[in-house]
Amino acid sequence: MHLNFRFLSNPIFIGLLKQGVKNTLIIASLCIIFGFLLGIIFALMRRSKIKALRIVSTVWVDFLRNTPFLVQLFFFYYGLPQLGIQTNPLVTSVIALSINSSAVNCEVIRSGLMAVKKSYYECAEALGFSYVQTLRYFVLPISLRVAFKPLVNNFINLILTTSVCFSITVVELMGACKVINGRVDRPFEIYILLLIAYCIITFVLSFVSKIIDKRIAVEL
Amino acid sequence: MQEAHVYGKYAHFAISDLFTFLSSCGTTLAVTLISLFLGSVLGVVIGLIRCSHNKVIRTIPLIFIEPLRNSPLVVQLFLVYYGLPVVMGTLLDVYSAAILTLSLNTAAFFSVLVHNSIKAVPTAQWEVGYALGHGKASTFIHIIAQQAVRLLIPQAITLYIGQLQCSSILSLISLRDLCRVGQLLTVRTMQPFIVWGIVFFLYYAISFPLARLAGYLENRLNYSY
Repeated sequence: MHLNFRFLSNPIFIGLLKQGVKNTLIIASLCIIFGFLLGIIFALMRRSKIKALRIVSTVWVDFLRNTPFLVQLFFFYYGLPQLGIQTNPLVTSVIALSINSSAVNCEVIRSGLMAVKKSYYECAEALGFSYVQTLRYFVLPISLRVAFKPLVNNFINLILTTSVCFSITVVELMGACKVINGRVDRPFEIYILLLIAYCIITFVLSFVSKIIDKRIAVEL
Repeated sequence: MQEAHVYGKYAHFAISDLFTFLSSCGTTLAVTLISLFLGSVLGVVIGLIRCSHNKVIRTIPLIFIEPLRNSPLVVQLFLVYYGLPVVMGTLLDVYSAAILTLSLNTAAFFSVLVHNSIKAVPTAQWEVGYALGHGKASTFIHIIAQQAVRLLIPQAITLYIGQLQCSSILSLISLRDLCRVGQLLTVRTMQPFIVWGIVFFLYYAISFPLARLAGYLENRLNYSY
């Protein structure tokens, strides 16, 4: 066994890796934002008084949580052109991943919403708040704080899942590594470095989230 | 090879595609079940080591667990399938690489579940065991383990569903599972909507009953002290 990390000194590969990191960051940040917003919307739909909305949200979450992300990705990437919609790998992966993470986030946010007691709603109503205002000032601040930890876990999972997007030719961190591996044929060194890189990303994120969680924690 | 009814540019669906789907379903299930079994056994062992009172012994498994939990399955898979042969000097075939990766991954997650559910049993239960004259091992087997298993089962089934879906990633090293067959059939028939629809349905049909079972067991086995 003879490890060889010389490929790291090649400026072309460094450029590729930089592009990969950039794409991963783009996909991850967009998906975190969209997935979070969609998650809130579906969680609220799940708890709405209208039955149709509840059913839509339940089916949505159930379906997305019981099918693999890779299949969803392929479905969007290869299926949509049949309907006449042109797909771009980066856009497709952002769409597919945000839809996928919306289902997971929905469950977490819903459990956060359930932590808000009925008396809070009554209190808000007594103070003359409208429904939207109640959500904005009473319900969401509390439930998002309760759901903060699992939400961050979901976000970390999402960042890890972005690595699957290389299969539809997005050059993100994993894709870049695959290209480099194709050039230099050093699979062990490259993938072990990649594994460590992902570990560092998740460790840093979970460390930061622990600090934030301590500061915003609420007693119910 | 199966007979293709060529029409225009691409082949139509053939009856044998049904069998292709079913056999790929079998591959997915077989690989997943084997690796879940191996992973669970290994996970229980590591989870028990994690519960040790000795600080050094307790932290050693983290070296194994943390990298597996904090990196994508794709990277682990590629490391095992492409990287490991370079280091070891022997080739791994697709099935063994897939099962090895998935079972190690499952073991890492399962050991955390085992550790958490053992820790979730209140300390008073241990004291009860000692007070009744049980030894350490005896207390664990007769009092703690049974309560821990109760906490563990719903979480374990949720993990199993997740791993079943993760098993689709194994198709990236050309394991002929459901996802891979979907890809191949898409290429042959050029009808991605129908093909991926069927694949969706099959995955859903496998994992939905399991999801319901987890929910049911969670309600059934739930109790407070």
